Amino acid sequence: MTADVKPPEVESKPPIYRDVKFLRTAGQIFAVGVVALIVFFLLNNLVTNLGRRNIGTDFGFLNRPTQFQIPYHQGFNPRSSVWGMVFVGIKNTFLAGLVGIALATVIGVVLGIARLSKNWLVARFAEVYVEFFRNIPPLVIIIFFGFAVFTFGPFPIVEESWEYSLPGTDETFLIINNDRWGIPSFFGGDNAVLFWFFVVFALIVAWVVWWYRTKVNEQTGRPHHRALWALGTFVGLTVVGFFVLGTPLSWSLPRISENRRLIVDGFIVNWGYISVTVALALYTASHIAEIVRGSILAVPMGQTEAANALALSGFQRYRFVVLPQAMRIAVPPIINQFLNLVKNTSLATAVGYADITALTKTSIGNGRPAPQSIVILMAVYLLFSLSISFLLNIVNRRLQIAGR
Amino acid sequence: MKRWLGVIAALALVATACGGDDGGDGLLQTVQDRGTLACGVNETLPGFGVVDEAGAYSGFDIDFCRAVAAGVLGDANAVEFVPLTAEARFTALQSGEVDVLIRNTTWTATRDGQEGVNFLFTTFYDGQGMMVPASSGITDLEGLADANICVLSGTTTELNLTAVLNARGVPFNPVVFEDNTQLRPAYEEGQCQAWTSDASQLAAFKATIESEGGDDQFILAEIISKEPLGPVVADGDTAWAQAVEWSVMAPVQAWEFGLDSGSVGSYSGDNPNVLNFVGDGDFDPGLSLSPSFAVDVVSQVGNYEEIFTRNIVPIGLSLAGSPNDLWTNGGLMYVPPYR
Repeated sequence: MTADVKPPEVESKPPIYRDVKFLRTAGQIFAVGVVALIVFFLLNNLVTNLGRRNIGTDFGFLNRPTQFQIPYHQGFNPRSSVWGMVFVGIKNTFLAGLVGIALATVIGVVLGIARLSKNWLVARFAEVYVEFFRNIPPLVIIIFFGFAVFTFGPFPIVEESWEYSLPGTDETFLIINNDRWGIPSFFGGDNAVLFWFFVVFALIVAWVVWWYRTKVNEQTGRPHHRALWALGTFVGLTVVGFFVLGTPLSWSLPRISENRRLIVDGFIVNWGYISVTVALALYTASHIAEIVRGSILAVPMGQTEAANALALSGFQRYRFVVLPQAMRIAVPPIINQFLNLVKNTSLATAVGYADITALTKTSIGNGRPAPQSIVILMAVYLLFSLSISFLLNIVNRRLQIAGR
Repeated sequence: MKRWLGVIAALALVATACGGDDGGDGLLQTVQDRGTLACGVNETLPGFGVVDEAGAYSGFDIDFCRAVAAGVLGDANAVEFVPLTAEARFTALQSGEVDVLIRNTTWTATRDGQEGVNFLFTTFYDGQGMMVPASSGITDLEGLADANICVLSGTTTELNLTAVLNARGVPFNPVVFEDNTQLRPAYEEGQCQAWTSDASQLAAFKATIESEGGDDQFILAEIISKEPLGPVVADGDTAWAQAVEWSVMAPVQAWEFGLDSGSVGSYSGDNPNVLNFVGDGDFDPGLSLSPSFAVDVVSQVGNYEEIFTRNIVPIGLSLAGSPNDLWTNGGLMYVPPYR
């Protein structure tokens, strides 16, 4: 009986509707096709609908004059093109994002460590801070900050600005009112550009010294003191260069104009900028603090105990054992927070700060085509986010390799 | 936020199916089938469009929305008011979110040409002015050198301000806000030294600020621009544009004929133009509107003088002698004859 039973043919292919390989490929092609169709349908709709209303889809408007003045940019000529406006917007978004990220990182790391402190007061303060700022939408913080601190705040109107002068002189170095603040900055003299090149050169030399001292330490075991060496080299070279180039920079101190409506010279920041930057830094710091706390807790207890066994001090334990390992865990989620901060600067329009979103909205309101303007806006934010991701991924990779 | 309505409306434009208004039936038929009129308005501008605590709309522009509804549908209350920001308004019109836009919108060449919209009869002749605190002692534009000037974003006022002050060689710094609820405190607390907007708006806010115990305000005598305000519809539907335009002109025509909301329904004279106007003998000029549309409009909303007196006079502007007076009195209100 059994002789009649043949084993099934191994070679034979299953029918095509049961072929896993075929089904997988077909499924993927189908998915791509559906997405492409939807995108095509939407774009076609947009172009058709715009065409029917005689609205163009070209980008020629970018070369035409803006015709409006950009807030707090008296140097901006309304006859310059929309491109110029886009670059001012990018610059303003960049300034708010960069300073915001720096502030948020410092505050966030300090708070994250403070949350784990054994000091009851410090730990509770950090906890209250984090829970407060983490649970309020950033737009509300920005509006509250802008209007509570500046509009209705303690600062005087521009005609009655507070002026602080250096003791014993008439030179003001700080001017504060409810609209803008003036702080000292540098005047570029004859060789200013040359001097900045020299500073970069000094930085490179300092880095070489740092590297050399590290080598010496590794080969001979003598203390490297590399920070001291590098700093000394940098400061020494810069001071020498400064005098060799005939004092290329001088202080530019802020003053109030004759009609007491403007601050001239110095570096001037406006209330919108301060509100956005500080509010977003405080908000993002609460998120970074939680990431830092979590990352520190994720470092195995044995590491701390080992550091204690080596009789490292509290600072040394953090600096050399815990934080380097915690940073490895913390960096990827912190990159996300940086991206969020930059994207949140688009809320700046609430306090009249001329970031790229605010300027784009003004431009659309003044007759520039909305779809094309929004496309440019999206491209700008994409550029910002991808640049930050790119830079920090390099940092991240270095951190990871260093340990493995 | 309200502000992103523009973007949402743009997306709506993307998503709107290709059918829409080119399926044969015009917007006039669509609105009459639907039974309500979607009217884009401002809800934060005293005199022109405000909402009270009960959610009821009132104002000059609101009354003209009601006039269109009365003319097209026979019922002045068949209006759905859609509050729009300055930036979202044209996109809302283009995407069909609103049938007509009556939101203190200035008629300019660029808007007419590039926004895909059609400006109709001007219901209000306005001009841009400048307000300063009376205590500042500023009396002319030159006095504003280096000043912060508060302005709303996305309005023609921003362009006028730049053009006029640049031509005069007066440097200034615009402080741009999204709406008047943010702009007003900044102005009152001295973050800007001046507030520029349409003169009618400034008059309204001057009255409000002073009545609420704020500082005395001064409006500079100089008017720096022409601001013809009126209803706007989307390009490409002539029948709808005509229906809206004649509905909006009916109150002005009634005023010229000496008719008001009380007397329009009971005209007993023998002026043939007036008899045509009140639809005597079912006179139909062929606008696809009911013969009684003008009576519907004026009896329910009033004539131009009534609308103006009800809304604009309380904010401190007078009709007599202004550009909004009837042409027979030396003003600009002039409508084509009703024959």
